[in-house]
Amino acid sequence: MKKYLAKRILLIIPTFIGITLITYLMIRLAPGDYTSLKAGLQGEIKAGSISKTIFDQERKLYGLDKPIVVGYAEWLFNLVKLDFGKSRKDGRDVSSRISEALPITLTLNIITIFIVYIISIPLGIYSSVRRDSTFDRGTSLLLFILYSLPSFWVGLILVMFLSGEEFLNLFPLAGIISEGMENAGFFKKLVNMGWHLVLPVVTLTYGSFAFLARYTRANMLEVINQQYITTAKAKGLSEARIVIVHAFRNSLVPLVTLMATLLPGLLGGSVIVERIFSIPGMGFLTFEAILSRDIPVVMAVESIAALLTLVGILIADFAYALVDPRIRLESKI
Amino acid sequence: MHQGYSVNFIKSLIITSMFFLGCSASVTDNDPYTLYMHLSSDPGTLNPITSSEAITSTINENIYETLVDRDFDTLEIVPQLAVKWKISDDKLRYIFYLRKGVLWSDGVEFTADDVVYSYRVIKDPSTACAPLKVYYIDIRDVRKIDRYTVEFIYTKPYFLGLNYCGSMPIIPKHIFDDGTDFNTHKNNRHPVGTGAYIFKRWDTGKRIVLSANPRYRGKKPDIRNVVFKIVSEPSVALQMLKKGELDVMSVRPIEWVRQTNSESFIKNFYKLEYYIPNYSWIGWNSRTEYFKDKRVRKAMTHLINRDAIREKLLFGLGKLVTGTFYIYSRAYNPDIKSIEYDPEKAKRLLSEAGWRDTDGDGILDRNGKKFSFTFTIASEKKFSERLTSILKEDLARVGIEMNINRYEWAVFADRLHKRNFEAITLSWLLSYSDDPYQLWHSSQVDAGSNFCNFKNREADRIIEKARVEFNDRKRNKIYHRFGEILYDEQPYTFLFCSPSLVAVNKRFTNVKVHLRGLNYLEWMIRDKK
Repeated sequence: MKKYLAKRILLIIPTFIGITLITYLMIRLAPGDYTSLKAGLQGEIKAGSISKTIFDQERKLYGLDKPIVVGYAEWLFNLVKLDFGKSRKDGRDVSSRISEALPITLTLNIITIFIVYIISIPLGIYSSVRRDSTFDRGTSLLLFILYSLPSFWVGLILVMFLSGEEFLNLFPLAGIISEGMENAGFFKKLVNMGWHLVLPVVTLTYGSFAFLARYTRANMLEVINQQYITTAKAKGLSEARIVIVHAFRNSLVPLVTLMATLLPGLLGGSVIVERIFSIPGMGFLTFEAILSRDIPVVMAVESIAALLTLVGILIADFAYALVDPRIRLESKI
Repeated sequence: MHQGYSVNFIKSLIITSMFFLGCSASVTDNDPYTLYMHLSSDPGTLNPITSSEAITSTINENIYETLVDRDFDTLEIVPQLAVKWKISDDKLRYIFYLRKGVLWSDGVEFTADDVVYSYRVIKDPSTACAPLKVYYIDIRDVRKIDRYTVEFIYTKPYFLGLNYCGSMPIIPKHIFDDGTDFNTHKNNRHPVGTGAYIFKRWDTGKRIVLSANPRYRGKKPDIRNVVFKIVSEPSVALQMLKKGELDVMSVRPIEWVRQTNSESFIKNFYKLEYYIPNYSWIGWNSRTEYFKDKRVRKAMTHLINRDAIREKLLFGLGKLVTGTFYIYSRAYNPDIKSIEYDPEKAKRLLSEAGWRDTDGDGILDRNGKKFSFTFTIASEKKFSERLTSILKEDLARVGIEMNINRYEWAVFADRLHKRNFEAITLSWLLSYSDDPYQLWHSSQVDAGSNFCNFKNREADRIIEKARVEFNDRKRNKIYHRFGEILYDEQPYTFLFCSPSLVAVNKRFTNVKVHLRGLNYLEWMIRDKK
């Protein structure tokens, strides 16, 4: 077991280097760089050919004149020192930009994932038990309708009808907290934030129910048709006990695979939701950094995501063993 | 009993939360002395030297000042930090006499040292301000003559010299010259200026707060605080405007025409329209076989129904332009009539140029080559997207096949600089007095912004002559001739000058529209609660 763990952790290192190297290659090889984008057309318009020296000078400031391999090595070396560098956009440490955007994204994602799981899994279980009933058909129709609605549209509709001045004015239009509430008491602040988060959370969740509910249902159906369930029924166990203890636990194995995506999923923000509700989160930070070729920010976000994915996979593998004692970790390598 | 308790508990919880909701709603109530402005994105820094974003200058023009300013109505150059200036006879030396007793918002006096320092920082190779540097290439030096006098020395005469020297950003030496890295200096996000407002607070991604500068020498503005709220989704910002959470907002043409005409909107908001120097255009790359011939370029302009496009895409807003200068400047030639929409004439011109449908497949051809070109657009620009889909149909009717290629902005710009395109559309943001050198001089076809390979001997001569012509009237006269050349050559199909459309809450009075736009320093508050 220990040997397995050590092996797996050691394997993370080359995988991580591989992922980040490819990311770095992609962003460096993409057309355009920060300097020329910032200068854009407006800069070169004014001095034309003379300005080339000036632009080369500035690229040098950001190390863009160095070969890609050297650039990557420098980045990696700084990473070992836990230095993500400074963002091109505002000259601040990348780590402080991330730590500013991360809390709100984490809050939103945790609430969203919690709601999605707490609703979808029971729904999936119930649908599998009452298979092909009106309830099963009705919910799956509803969930697929929700799934197919584009979130930018739903988000805007919610804003227009529930926060605008023409229809209902129930929720705030933008942000996560009212101006001046930052220093209010804990409870007051919590209520105020909750009030702000209703619409963003609705927009983030409604489309995710379908996948998880259907996934749970499919896994449950597979288990329910097993012979040991029939045995349990024959033993005269209550339906609740059969479903929850015998069937559900065994349908957990495929669900565990999803856990690997949970960790990196916490970090990513939805650009659309953040834009509509004016939430300065990770999605917008990353999106903007990619479009403006802000390499330090892109690399930091991507490397954190890569690391979390690798850790997530590792955790999922251990969780397999936990839910299914037949799986032996050592045999997998 | 137990049951009853919990119901009551829930009830009281709901009531308390209602109470808190009520509370929080009242917190958002606006302070009557504060102006709430809309900002579409968060600027990176507020350093006027290193930042080239337009939104940065929206904020900085309240905080930082320059040596001279432009009059809001006449656009004449007027004193700001300099009280007067002198230009030497050889037009190489500009002496500025600074205003005495001007204080930076931290109380230190503004002097010639700040001007010299700002210039040195701009010139320093380690300062990341390439877009700004290019303006000051021809300045050899800036010298301090005494505490309140500075001299800019040019290497060659240039008619925009006063403009460039006078509008150079000026930053406080005592704040920035502290030995730390300029590009990442802490005051890049905490500006100290001499203007009417001082920086108060910046909640990244949310808002930037300014308040009236108590040390400001001029008349104290009625508006005591300015809050820039960052809202990136325009339709949400419009809702905020309607709810009273924003006072000022630039609206899009569709909103101007469709969403801001209700009775209550008209009652509560001013709708203001003005034109800053800009124009959109379609460029025909004359390196290609199709657009080498000016008859073809003219035919293309004849084929583009600009009036209809203006109706469809800009809802009738905007002005048709015929040349490269700001429509309200004297350099713009008002006598040139726009080339009319006339497909028949276009067909004749195309056939004169050799483009005829000889094989009867419905597409024009010449020497066996079909007239089939690619229009390159930046995918983020909705205007380009709609414009090209209209063009595609119109051109197909006379037998020209047009394909549309969309690229992300960075890729688009890259192709532009490599001249790797056949036709493009873009718009230029100009200054009030502009030098056409970079756009139209033949020396700029490879590395400058003369993307479409426009080369004309007479135009070159005019551009060069105008650069050293300090007499406005004479210069404008030769620029009028330049306008005629552009009309004849049609390197671009000139499109529209787009208006700035702004809605302002009527709780302010004395809201005037100047040629330069709005000036909220002069606004008054109607109802001081």
